[in-house]
Amino acid sequence: MAHIDASEVLAHADGLYNFARWLCLDAAEAEDLVQETYVRALASAHQFQPGTGLRAWLFRILRNVFLDRRRRAAPAISGEEPSDDVPGDVSTGELGQEQVRRLVAADVAAAVQGLSEPFRTVVLLDMEGFTDAESANILGCSEGTVKSRLSRARARLRSQLAAYGPRP
Amino acid sequence: MTCDTARGLILDAIRGRLSDASARELRQHMETCAACRAFEASERALSEALDTKLPQYAAPLALKRRLQGSWPHAAAPVRTRRWSSQLARMAAVAAAVAVVAGGAGSMLATRSAERERLAGESVNDHLRLLAGAPLATVTGGLHEVKPWFGGKLDFAPSLHFAGDEDFPLLGGAVERFLDRPAAVFVFQRRLHKASLFVMSLPGLDFPLRPTSRSVRGFNVVLWQANDQGYALVSDLNLDELLQLQKRIATAGP
Repeated sequence: MAHIDASEVLAHADGLYNFARWLCLDAAEAEDLVQETYVRALASAHQFQPGTGLRAWLFRILRNVFLDRRRRAAPAISGEEPSDDVPGDVSTGELGQEQVRRLVAADVAAAVQGLSEPFRTVVLLDMEGFTDAESANILGCSEGTVKSRLSRARARLRSQLAAYGPRP
Repeated sequence: MTCDTARGLILDAIRGRLSDASARELRQHMETCAACRAFEASERALSEALDTKLPQYAAPLALKRRLQGSWPHAAAPVRTRRWSSQLARMAAVAAAVAVVAGGAGSMLATRSAERERLAGESVNDHLRLLAGAPLATVTGGLHEVKPWFGGKLDFAPSLHFAGDEDFPLLGGAVERFLDRPAAVFVFQRRLHKASLFVMSLPGLDFPLRPTSRSVRGFNVVLWQANDQGYALVSDLNLDELLQLQKRIATAGP
């Protein structure tokens, strides 16, 4: 079995936990997701190719754990692929520096929570610094799909955050 | 270059992921297109909002410990065996000296490490609350917060201090504290917040008398009462935090 050093994998615990928190929006479930991610990573460590991106590999496992759990919880949607075919009436509201200054964490958190899970996921992966190609690899979809989702998700966020407007 | 093409490239440009040729072509378009410049400014503003204002969650210490415990460590490389055995002999000698010096010291060290762990977890959980974890409403004061915990905890948190004008009660929440759920009560003092974590006691070494320590710039007071552990944490100065602790500990039903 290829050995992956403990310190190497544990260095990604915070990033994985943050990703899990925003995926499932629940602290206890996020802990379970991260723990199961490490269990699966350990079980399939022999498949990991050193030098091919441990971080992206762990994020892919976590996302798969999340989807597996969702499918188990709602068998009716088992096998359903996340779709980027969402209502297309997305405004491209402009967001200015002054508005950003007035926003509080709860505003931004609410806007991100309001995104559908596939949209939220690409935004989070982008924030983690993954390229579109890496995100596509993590999500098992095409790079074009990632680009499309990210563009539309950001349009929604800009529109929603711009709508908060100046505060009294 | 059309505006559609330009807008498809702007985020990559902000991320520094465009080839020189594409970046040059985009720059040329932007020089003549006010609408795309406005779009770029809006994209930068969104990135700033996400980077600076979206709450980030750190993995709880307890989770990290569980992960560390479950991941096997590499076997020591052969070339270090000799050095390792020397280290092992030195450790054995040190352990023997420690035993001769008496067990009390090591017990104190263990206890100190446990208290450090409790204080560190308190600060982590306090930071998570500051980052935006939702609080139960408190329009009806403590009488409204306590029933809110019903069904969320396997114990009834013992707290009789409902806040006062110096330390108003802002709300309550349930957070994981190490391996168990804890009730959290959040008080305010001027612009500072103080979180009180109340949890069942078994297995946790909370001190009998209030004990304070400083962790990463926060003051933490730990104590136990009524078979429950209490951790009070804030960036308030220690004197004021101890005032709040006294009011919490002495309030009667």
